[in-house]
Parts: sequence; C-alpha cells; structure tokens
Amino acid sequence: MALLSSILALRRHPALIKLPPYLSAFCIVVGIAWLLILPLNEYSRRTYVSENALLPGQVHTYFTGSEHDVFRAYRHEVHALIDRPVEERSKALESIFLEQNLKVSTQKYNYTVSNTTIASENVYAILQGPRADATEALVLIGAWKNMDDEVNNSGVALVLTLARYFKRWSLWSKDIIFLISADSTIGPQAWVDAYHNEHNEEEVESLKIKSGALQGAVAIDYPAGPWGHRYDKLHIVYDGVNGQLPNLDLFNTAVAIADGQMGIQCVIQRMFNHDDTYKERLMTMLRGMISQGLGHATGPHSSFIPYHVDAITLSTVGDGWHDEMTLGRTVESLFRSLNNLLEHLHQSFFFYLLLQSKRFVSIGTYLPSAMLIAVNFSITALALWVKSGKPAEGEEKIASTNPEPSKPATDDKSNSTSPATDTKSPPATEIVKLGDAVTIVPQSSTTTLERPLLLPALLVLTSHAIGLVPLYYFNTHPSTHLRALHLTAANASSILPFVFAWTGYYAPDTPIPTQTFTLIQCFSLLGLGLGLAALATLNFSLSIIIGVLSAPLSFVRRTESNALNILQLGLLAVLNPVMVAQWSSHYLGADLAEVLRLAAVGWRVWGLWTQVVVWVVWFPAWVVGGTIVAGGMF
Amino acid sequence: MLSSLLFLLLNAVITCVAASTGYHERLFLRPLPQGSLLASFNFVSNETQEAFEQQNFRYFPRSFGQILQHAHARELHLRFSVGRWDAEDWGERPWNGAREGGTGVELWAWVEADNEDEAFARWLTLTNALSGLFCASMNFIDATKTIRPVMAFAPEGPHGNVANLHLLHGTLPHEVVCTENLTPFLKLLPCKGKAGISSLLDGHKLFDASFQTMAIDVRPVCDGAGTDCSVEMEQTVDMVLNVARSKRPQNNPIPRPLPIDQLECDTSKPYNSGDSCYPLKKSTEPSWTLEEVFGRPLKGACPLTEETGDAAHTACIQTEPERTVNANTTGEYTEMKVGSDTIRCYKLPTGSDFDLVLPEQQLTTGLVRPSPPLFAARSINGHGQERGSTQSIIRNPSTTNTVEFVYLESLPWFMKPYLHTLRARLDTTSASPIKETYYRPAIDRKRGTHLELLMTIPPNSTLTLTYDFEKAILRYTEYPPDANRGFDAAPAVIRVLSPNTGDRKGMYIRTTSLLLPLPTPDFSMPYNVIILTSTVMALGFGNIFNLLVRRFVGADEVPVGAGGLKGLVMGKVGRLRALVGM
Amino acid sequence: MPLDTEHKLLIFAAAAAVRLVLPAVFPTFPDLLTGRVEVSTPVTSFKRLQEGVFLYTHNVSPYDGGVYHQAPLLLPLFSLLPDPSTYPLATNILYTVVDLLSANAIGQIADSGQNVATRLFTSSRKHLTWSSIAIATGYLFNPFTVATCLARSTSALSNLFILTAMAKAAHGASTTFILALAFAAYLSMHPILLFPPLLVLLYDTRATKTQSKPNVWTFAIAHTLGLAVAIGALLSASAFITGSWDFLAATYGVRLLLPDLTPNVGLWWYFFIEMFDSFREFFLGVFWLHAASYVPGLTIRLHKQPLFVACTLTGVFAIFTPYPSIADAALYLSLVPLFRHLFPLMRYSFLASAAILYASVLGPAFYHLWIYAGSGNANFFYAITLVWSLGLSIILGDSMYAALRDELDVERPELQGKEVRRI
Repeated sequence: MALLSSILALRRHPALIKLPPYLSAFCIVVGIAWLLILPLNEYSRRTYVSENALLPGQVHTYFTGSEHDVFRAYRHEVHALIDRPVEERSKALESIFLEQNLKVSTQKYNYTVSNTTIASENVYAILQGPRADATEALVLIGAWKNMDDEVNNSGVALVLTLARYFKRWSLWSKDIIFLISADSTIGPQAWVDAYHNEHNEEEVESLKIKSGALQGAVAIDYPAGPWGHRYDKLHIVYDGVNGQLPNLDLFNTAVAIADGQMGIQCVIQRMFNHDDTYKERLMTMLRGMISQGLGHATGPHSSFIPYHVDAITLSTVGDGWHDEMTLGRTVESLFRSLNNLLEHLHQSFFFYLLLQSKRFVSIGTYLPSAMLIAVNFSITALALWVKSGKPAEGEEKIASTNPEPSKPATDDKSNSTSPATDTKSPPATEIVKLGDAVTIVPQSSTTTLERPLLLPALLVLTSHAIGLVPLYYFNTHPSTHLRALHLTAANASSILPFVFAWTGYYAPDTPIPTQTFTLIQCFSLLGLGLGLAALATLNFSLSIIIGVLSAPLSFVRRTESNALNILQLGLLAVLNPVMVAQWSSHYLGADLAEVLRLAAVGWRVWGLWTQVVVWVVWFPAWVVGGTIVAGGMF
Repeated sequence: MLSSLLFLLLNAVITCVAASTGYHERLFLRPLPQGSLLASFNFVSNETQEAFEQQNFRYFPRSFGQILQHAHARELHLRFSVGRWDAEDWGERPWNGAREGGTGVELWAWVEADNEDEAFARWLTLTNALSGLFCASMNFIDATKTIRPVMAFAPEGPHGNVANLHLLHGTLPHEVVCTENLTPFLKLLPCKGKAGISSLLDGHKLFDASFQTMAIDVRPVCDGAGTDCSVEMEQTVDMVLNVARSKRPQNNPIPRPLPIDQLECDTSKPYNSGDSCYPLKKSTEPSWTLEEVFGRPLKGACPLTEETGDAAHTACIQTEPERTVNANTTGEYTEMKVGSDTIRCYKLPTGSDFDLVLPEQQLTTGLVRPSPPLFAARSINGHGQERGSTQSIIRNPSTTNTVEFVYLESLPWFMKPYLHTLRARLDTTSASPIKETYYRPAIDRKRGTHLELLMTIPPNSTLTLTYDFEKAILRYTEYPPDANRGFDAAPAVIRVLSPNTGDRKGMYIRTTSLLLPLPTPDFSMPYNVIILTSTVMALGFGNIFNLLVRRFVGADEVPVGAGGLKGLVMGKVGRLRALVGM
Repeated sequence: MPLDTEHKLLIFAAAAAVRLVLPAVFPTFPDLLTGRVEVSTPVTSFKRLQEGVFLYTHNVSPYDGGVYHQAPLLLPLFSLLPDPSTYPLATNILYTVVDLLSANAIGQIADSGQNVATRLFTSSRKHLTWSSIAIATGYLFNPFTVATCLARSTSALSNLFILTAMAKAAHGASTTFILALAFAAYLSMHPILLFPPLLVLLYDTRATKTQSKPNVWTFAIAHTLGLAVAIGALLSASAFITGSWDFLAATYGVRLLLPDLTPNVGLWWYFFIEMFDSFREFFLGVFWLHAASYVPGLTIRLHKQPLFVACTLTGVFAIFTPYPSIADAALYLSLVPLFRHLFPLMRYSFLASAAILYASVLGPAFYHLWIYAGSGNANFFYAITLVWSLGLSIILGDSMYAALRDELDVERPELQGKEVRRI
C-alpha cells in the first residue's frame, strides 16, 4: 500500500504526462541498440550439437574410388539432358534410378499464378532401408535448376551417384528419398505438399508411392558443367518459408562435418569472405534477418520447413581445391548422422540468429529488441488515450475485451487505494475526467455514450479491411501488369490520407471532433503494437523490420504549423509501405517487378503471409497515421 | 502361372506330410529378381493328442507345450517380422502371407474359457509366459493392445470338439526383432540348429535380410474321419536375402567401391574413357552357394527326418530348368525333380556338409512370377501433432476376378478415429465397396480401437480408404523415453476371402506400420507447472475470499498510521502494549 | 416502444446475417474453428458430436467409447438435422436461433432491473445502466460468441439455458426457471452450482411481486425438489434413449475425472498432464472443491445482490472448471455490462482487458508454434492460458470489490467517495 500510494504521488506529478513520447522513443532506441550489440562475444554463443545421437563426423566415409568414374559418367548423362523436353528428361532420370533397383515415380504440377502457368515434373526415387519399416524417411534433393536458374548439373549427377552408392549399404534405419525437383522453389513445394496430402488435386498430382514421416532433408546445389569445377567453400542456406528456421542441430551437424571432417569452410547468408569481425557478423545477422523477414523460399529446402521437416541446402561457391567427391562424402557423412537419429530433431534451438557458421544468438537474447519496439506503440496508444480523455466510455468495452480502456488503468492502477476520492476531489487532470465521466454519464443515454468509441473503432477496422483490396489485386493481377499496378497503388496510397482527412472534415455536416481523431490514432497504434508483438514470436525479423519502419507513426501528430505538417508528410511518404517496397528493392539490387511476381507466387504456392502482414497490419496503420497528419492541413 | 501351381503343390506336399505324426523339415529356395533370394524354412513336429495331454513329448518342445496347456490355448499363431515384402518386384508372398506377421511381434490364439474375463486372464498368462520364453516384451500386450477379431482370422485346425473358444489378437509394432528371439526359436527344434537345414540359420545373415519373418503355428490336425487327432507345431522362417550383400565376407562387410577394373562399364557411351564409366546393369544371374549366402555350411540332414519319400528331400530350390545347380558334398545325396524340372529337391547326406553351387549364368527363359491378389499401401496424411488422416490404397491387379477381403485395423487408444469421416472410394465405380463394418471404439487407457471392414474390389480398380483421427495428449508418465520419435500404429491386416486358397490357412496381406507423432509436454516441468498453476488459483481464491471475509471501514477510522505494512505493525504493537499494560 | 423493438429487430437481423453469411462465404471457416482447442473442448466439440450421432444412428452405443462425452438428448436432436457436411445451413440456423434466444434472455435480465435494485438493496448509482438492447448487442457481437456459434460448439446451448434460467429467475417465473436450470445442469453439470444464488433471486422477485412473502423453507424445499425431479426426468429420459445408464460415466464422469487431457484455455489440462500419478485423485478433489467453494461464500456475503453472485459464478466457471472454452468467457464477459454502475469503482480494468486481449492474440500463435511449427513447446501455450485465467480472475475480483464498495456506499452514505480500508 505504501508503495502504491508513493506511485500515486508520483503519478500526480505533471512530468509524467509529458513522459510517454520520450518513453516510446527510448524504447525504439534501446530496441535498435540491442540489435547492434548482439554480435559481440558477450551476447552471442558458439554453436554446439545438443542431440547426442547425431555424432557428426564420427564415421569413415567410403564414397571414393570408382564412384568418381560413375559420377563423371552420370554428369555427362545429365548434361546431355539439359535442353531436352521435360518428359524425356524425366524418362532418362527414371531409367537411371531403375537400373539401381530403386522405386521410382514422377509427379506433374501445374500452377497458374497471376495469369502465367508454371508447369513441370518432379522425379523421385525411394530407397527402402533394409532394416527400416517405412515409418521414417530422409530426403536428398537435387533441384534441376538452382536458385540462380542455372542447371544443377553436377548436383543432380551427385544425387544419382549417391543413390547408387547408398543402395549397397545395409545400415539404413530410415528410407531415403532422392528427389530431383524441376526447379528450386516450386517443384519441392508441390512435392512436399503432395507428400502430406495437403495439395490441390487440380494443380498438383498426388504421389504414387510414399514412405514414412520425413525426418530431414538435404539439398545439393552444385551447378558445375560436364567438366567439373573445383570449389572453395560451402554455402549453407537455411531459411524456410515465412521465416521459419530448421533445428540448429542440423545446421551444426552440417558445419561440423564439412568443416571438421572434410575441411571445407562453411559460409552463410552470401557472406562469402567472413573474417569474423564485428562488422561482418553484423552484416551476416542483418542479411539473415532480411531474408527471414521477407519469408520467401531461399532454396529447395525452404518448402520442407513449414511441415516441421528440418532441411538445409549445401551450395558450392568460389574457386578452390575441393572436388565433387568431398561434397559427396560430406553428404554421406551427414546422412549417416541423420540415420542415427532415434527421435525427430527437437533438442536444439528453432529460433536463432546466426552471426557466422559457428556463432549464434538465441531467442532469449534477441527477442526483447522486437518486443521493445512493439511496446513503444502501446505506450503511445496509452498516452493518446489519456489525451483523448473521457475514459469512462472506454471501460464499458472491457466486458467485451476491447483494447481501449487504457486511461482508467493509468490512474486506477496507481491510486488503487482511493478510487472513490477521484470521483470527488479533482487534484490532477485525468481524475477530473474520470470524475466527469461518472457525473456526466447518467444524464446521457447509452447511444450518445457509445458514439465517441464506436466511430473510431469502426473507422480503424474499415482501414484494416481496406488493406484486403490491394492484397487481392497484387496476388491475382497478371504478372506483366504488376509494375503498373504498383505505380497505381503508390499514387493511390499517397493520396488516400488526404481524401480521408478531407472527408473527415467536410463530408459530415458537423466536423468530426479532434478527440475522435486522437482515439483513431490510439486504436490504430494499439492494434499495430499488438500485431507486432504477436508477430515477433512467429517471425521476429519481419516484426522488427516493420516496427522500425513504422516507428514514426507513434510520433506524428496533428499540428497547425504547415511546415511541421509537410515535414511529417514527407517522412510518411517515404515510409509508405508501397514506397518502401520500391526503394528497398532498389537498394537490395532486386528488380521490383520480379519481387512482386515472387510475392504473388509465394502467396499462391508457398502460402507466404508476408503480404498479409504488410497490407492488413502495416498499411492500415500507415494510412491512419497519414490521415491524422493530413488533418492538420484543413 | 506354372510356378505358382507348383508352389501350391509344394504347400500341399508339406501339409499332406504334416498330417502324420513325426518331424519334417523343408528348405525352399527361390531366386528373386534384382539379385535377391527367398529362403523359406519350414519345420513341422507333430504329437498325438493323447501324448500331448499326458505331457510325454517327443518332437513337440516340452517348454512350449506346457505353456499352451497351462493357458488352455487350443490354437496359437506367433509372428516375429522385420522389413517389408516388396510385392511389386517379388510377386506373391510365401505361404500366401499366411505365415507372415506385421512389423514387430504379432500374436493371436484361440483360448478355451467359459467367459470373456477368464479368456483374457488366460491370454495374459500366455503372453507373459511367451515373453519369457522368447525374450520378447510380449508381456506388454495388455488390454489396450488386445482385440477380438470377428472376421479377419479363422482357425486353421478343426475345433469341432471344443466349445467356447475365444480368439484374442495382440500386436507390438515397435518391438525390434533380433537374434535374442532367434536363439529360443531354434531351441524349440529337435535338431536345435546343429544339423539339418536349421544349421543354416545364422543370426548375422538372418537379421541382415531385406525381409524376414519367423512364425510359430500350433494347431490340432485330424484325419478325414475326425478321429485320432494330433497337435501340430509348425515353425517357419522366411527371409529374402540380397545375394550380393550376403556374399560379403563376415570380416569385411563394408561395401567399398569396386576397383575400377572390376567395374563393368557401358563402352557404347561416347564419353566412356579411363576416368568416366557408366555402370552396366548385370543381365546375368549372380553366382552363389549356400555357404556364401548363409555364412555357414549345411551340416547334413537332421537324423529325425524320414529316410525315404518326398519328405526326405528336405532342401528344394525353384529355378529355371536351364539353370545349372551343382550339389557339392562328400556324403551321398539324391536329387528329385518336381513340376517339369522347375523345382529340384535334394535328400541331404547324413553327417557330412552339403552345399548348393549356382554359377553366374546368362538365362534365356524366366519363371512367371504370380502377382499377389492385392497390393496394399497405407500412409498418414496431414501434418502437425494435433490431428491427421489415414489413407490406405488397395489395388486389385487382376483383370478378371473381383476380390473380396476383410480389412482389420487395430489402433492404439490415443489415436482416436472419427468413423463418420470414413470414406471408401473406388476409381472405377461409385458404388460403395464396404459390405460390412464391425467397429469397437477405443476407451481412454482401457481399450484400443478395433475396426473390421468387409469389402470387395472389382477387377483392375483401386480402392482408397481414408478416415480422420485425433491424437490424444498423454500424461507425462505415459510417454516412452523416446517421446519425440512418436508412437507406432500396428499394420493393417487384410484377409483375402475370394479367390480363396484351397487350404485352411487363408491368404493374408499386411501393410507397413505407421509412425504417429503425438504432442509432447515439457518433461522437465512438473514442479514448475504445479507451482505456477497453484499460484494463479491462489491469486483468484485469495483475492475473492479476502474481499468476502473482511469488512470495509473508512480510512480515517483505522488506527493511526495504518498505512501499509508500517501501520499494520504499529497497530499490532499498540494492541500488544495495551495487553501488557493490563 | 416501437422504436426500441425496431432497434432490436435490426440488431438481431444483423447478428443473424453475420452468423449465416460468414460460413456461406468461407465454407471451411466453421470447420477450422471447430478444430480450435480454444473454442471446442472434448465435452463440447461439434466434431465429436457428429461422431456420436453417427454411432447413435448406426446402433453403436456412443458411450462405449472415448470420443463422445456430451448429453444423450443431443443425439436424437441432431440426428434429425441433415448431415452438416453436406447441408450445413440447417445446423447454422439452429445455432443462430440459439444465440438470438440467448441475447433475448440477456435483454430480459437487463430489463428486470435486478442488476441494480434488488429487494434488499438498491445501488446508489442505479441510474447508471445500459439499455437491454445495448447489452444484448454486446453479447451478439462479442467475437467470442460469434466464434462459438460458428464452431457449433454445444456450450452455446448450455449458455442459452443458463441465461434463460437467470432471466426467468429475475422475472420470478418458477417453473420455467427450474426447467431451464435443469437443462443447463443436464447439459454441462456445473451450472447446478448456480441454483443457490438464483433461488435467492427468485425468492426476492417473488417477494417483491406478491406483497405476502412466501415462507423461506417451503419455498426452498419446493424448488429444490422441483429441480431434482426435472433433472431426474431428463436423466431417465436419456437412459431410456440410450438404453443404459452408461452415459453417466461417459459424460459427467469425464467432466469429473478428466481422463481426456486435450489442451484448452483452462488451468486443469497441463496441471494433470504433469501431475504425479499418486496425487492425481487428490488434486482432482481439491480442484473441484475449490471451484465449488465460491458458491456458498458469494451467496452468503452478497445475498443482497443474487444476480451479481450468479454472474460472478459464471466467471468462476470460465476459469476454474476442467474444460472451459472461450464460450464460457463470452458468457461472463457479456454479463459484466449488466453492472455498468460498478465500472467507476473498478480499478484494474485496463490491466485485465490488456491481459485478455494479448492472451487471445498470442494464444493461437503459440499453439501453432507448439503443434504445427514444432519450434515451440507446450509451455508456450500453457503460459498463455495462465495469463488468460489471470486476466479473467482479475476482472472477477475487481468487480467483486466494486460490488462490495457499492453496498458500503448504501450502508454508510457518509463514507461515499472516502478512502476505505478492509480490516
């Protein structure tokens, strides 16, 4: 009680009323600073393998000798198929698998995304483990085309050779599935969807033969031609669709084997020369966060991860002295390790940020930064509620668990010991309001009471509903017109706030009071904070990126000074989600039209929900912010 | 076709000899495509009913006989299986699948008892005794793993004289079958693996097989008149060996890459050269000998087998007539050719080793492999640890005859199927293939689900059977140590009713078992959970009852300084003072 | 008044439209909700009900199995409806009607005025209320209510009967009250605990209506017997339908002993997953005792405001029963606005509502992480259920404080608006 009353005293202090903006600014600053210190040794950890069954690199590998000759032969075979039609290619691959006495099948798929058809065929073969009972399976993927759309010549050949080699072993406790998908992102998605029977029969053919529950998947990306190419390092790609990550143990095992056993240096996130300085670490982390935040498929492995199948892609980079057999032995050793697994990978981390191939930050360390940024919106919302006054209406909604009633909390939490005094003695601002509420409410009937809350709530909800329109168009529009559509969206979205503000002032016979606008901003920010907090647990990076980009929304206010208005509007115009897409893609060196096309593909094929967040959470919040500022212009 | 006929004939041979008392054994070898070899061992020992009841056993193993008598089991079938039969490549199953079990251990028996409870009690004693005898954890076949099939199984022996028989069936899909189960199995044989074909059974090779099943079947056998019955115990071992793999020497089993000069290259390829070699698929039949494949020699005949007649020719091999098969032994043996020379049987020499040598050979003809009546595959759809759906795809390859069969599912209680979502679709007709349904739903921790469907598939059409299920979350003590691996669901048993085989054994097909990942709690949490939950409840309770039992007074009426802890203390002190003062 | 009824019709029509249009536009939406553990529990799930009906119509006893744990009388009712998988409309209409009736009942409760002025007590703030329409609207458009209706969870039915019982008690209609309460208790057992406060409420209303106040004892005994008879009739009817008394163990037994540990928003499931086997029975007893202990305490202390006690008890059910769902929370949170006049006295409203809001957003996210993504574990969802329960119990305690404070203002007007202490 003593404590409470002291808080009470503190709360009465006028400084507290001015505090919130500084507080939320503080949150943002700390949140960002937090990220920046993560790469330091004190805050990151060395990776370690926590699943004892894996025993990485403990086996001797025998993939050498005459297998090399076979590999070269297969490489020629694959090369000969490069510019053949899909059917012929599948036939040839099938026949090779059949010669190795494996169960072979093919799968056709045919997606129609934004008026363009994506059709091709996957080939896969199942090696039935001699001691296995078809309950568990591992997948070895060699996509025909890799992410850079080169033919994965040596990769596919290596998969064929390994299939032949693995067939001779009797120690497999799990089935091994060799998948040659037609491309790196859509083919695997079609296959893994069909494997779990969660596919659309019109688009994707069901699998004719299946095996047990998938325990892990490894993809090989080695686009060297028929005459081979000695590479320098292994680039391990691990981001899944929607920013979900594979179990860290799988990644660690791959690194331990490649680096420790085979002596191939491993790199991540396209940081090919990583000399482990602070800068390099930070860059790696940020690149990782961006690709996680975008949530797109980064390789054949990506589609597996949403199905709780841990997967990675090993791709070769640079010119060096490592040859295909080293890669083959790496994969062999990796599969021997996975073959040891008694349980599904569950020991190690699923939420992590990698700083380099052997250093990571775990969720407990990095989550606060995103949470702080999300919280800053809630704080501002709270402050705005206080500002908006007339809190009593807010409380009515508590019953139906509405977010609004922030105000009563502030003074209620604090002066919990003396609720009744408020109703009389008017020492500080809000309490008067509370008092007003109590005395005013009776005269007014409920309808008039509800209005001040109902209108803002409805407006905010509609603004969120409006987000669905661009979402629909961007995902269904013909890919050729996406660029134009984007331009329209950019213009429309820039004008939208002014339109709203104008209608808000001139359309209704009685201009909407300022208080309503404050409430609108309050609700919108509350929603944004809530959404980002929840998102932080699902896709940390996306949450923090959006949080930082929309941070100004918690500071923009309606002012009378035009200069300030224009300044704010300019800032907002730059941070318009549509514009952000524009300049960020330009900055990251990606073609905007391609990005948009990929987004549409992601929506239709991978079940990507990044756009949903952008259009239904971020964009509406931005529109509201803009409207608030634009209001000052009239 | 021919061979299938002969195969039936061979079965007939064994069964007909089985009717008489005594001991018989037979090894039946059949090379399969892709360098595999099917070896089915069959040992039959009989005892007259009287002798059996008076417990004077000659060939029948005493330990086993006494267990059967104690548990009043009139007919018993026990299976240990590993791996799966590859029907596409290997064709029809040995014994039409009648001597085969689902992955792990499968046991069913007809127990004589007055009522269900007594039958179950005897079943429990049976499983416990057997688990001791075979070093298998059959004692874990409890009420939740036991079902009472209605249509799927029929007794093999005549039980006219015995009333109130109860059929009980239990499976352990997760049981790992290994050598510790083989040793007691051999111990039951009269020749105990020292002589006769059983001397070939070596743990290393047996459990390196691609498919392998050990079966024990006990059933009464009577002659036509139904008089002088005898108890027959049939032990069967079927294994499919990969010849290349089995031929690897014991001391060096690693499949190292062949030296380049031993690698057969396709010289027709344009790029064929010193450093690149497209491996040729061997068209010739691989060479092998019994000793190479089984890792030990065949030590002559078991002296207990008959001296003359069909039954004396205990080692048989079914190959193309043109295939050269040389018997290699110091003792004397006789060869007998059956069924237009496709089956050759040998009478083993007594006391001296015997070996069959098949050289590598290019064959012009091939045997017709009869295809099985049905192909069945079962898998789990969907992902996530909350719910899913099971999908069984059953195909009838025959172009002429409709197949009628019984489909039996025995599911653990924590896998809760929704029968109203059961759908059976045929790709050819829209008519429902389900003729009869028997369903006994599970009860938590008491009983597993038992589903039997009588279905028919028209010629060359495919049946897809799906149903949704929900996964229960268990108490943390109910999870095994490898909780995150998931739980195994027993294979589905399919009994083909028509076209039926002549004998009473029937025709069976089993799918593979399923892995069922369940949601897992955090096993390190019990104390934290108890504490946290109790805290929340205490908060609610304390808060409310605090309000209920105390009364309000104005702040100014409370003793002075009664603000917070200090006030409280002051008040107490004051009261104490007053007391002392008095 | 015509205007009012017009409003009412408008709102009810809108609510019905929402409930019927949503499934029509998104056909998979209802099944998605039916699968959510937050919405449908083992004892209310519509999918399990379908299974039960299927077994019932195929002459397999639904109670000889571990799936169906709901009341037998639902079986013939739902076996009359067309198969929901093919013709969902009929079922949707049924549930929509149920919701509208509940809203109507809650409106009647508000109209009775028992929430502010009872026989023995009249709040000093009694003018501070909302119209019955506003409160009914609050119920109809409460997202939790809508979700429950779309998920076709059978707790919508028990909510209807609870609300009807309250309404009838508030209007002093004995027989209908007894019938409604009997049905509620029959469907989901724990509403029987509402009998004492509602009986007091009924007595008050009767006493106010008829100047000659009936004898307390005869009144109580008569109604208790009446309730017993009604429930007995229902049970024997069920026994007649199913042909045996097995359903008792399969329905009420399951509610009592918690064999099915499927996650829900309550506190029981994870506790009994992690509980040591030897203590399971003991803690079952303790938990039930705890849940029941609120009835006498509240009824005695707040006997002047029986309706408030009843509403508070629904809140208790939403937190401390073995298989709570958001449906129970929806019921409680829609009843709280009846006591609009207490809001000014409540202190933690923001804290509580924020907690509930965050829980309802983070809950599904964490459940996804645990069950589907596999990247989180059970503790994630468990933590959220804790927050949810905490939020609800804060509202509970806070409203109680407000109610008592309100009584105090009447007893000792001189204390109005003064600081008070509890001793």
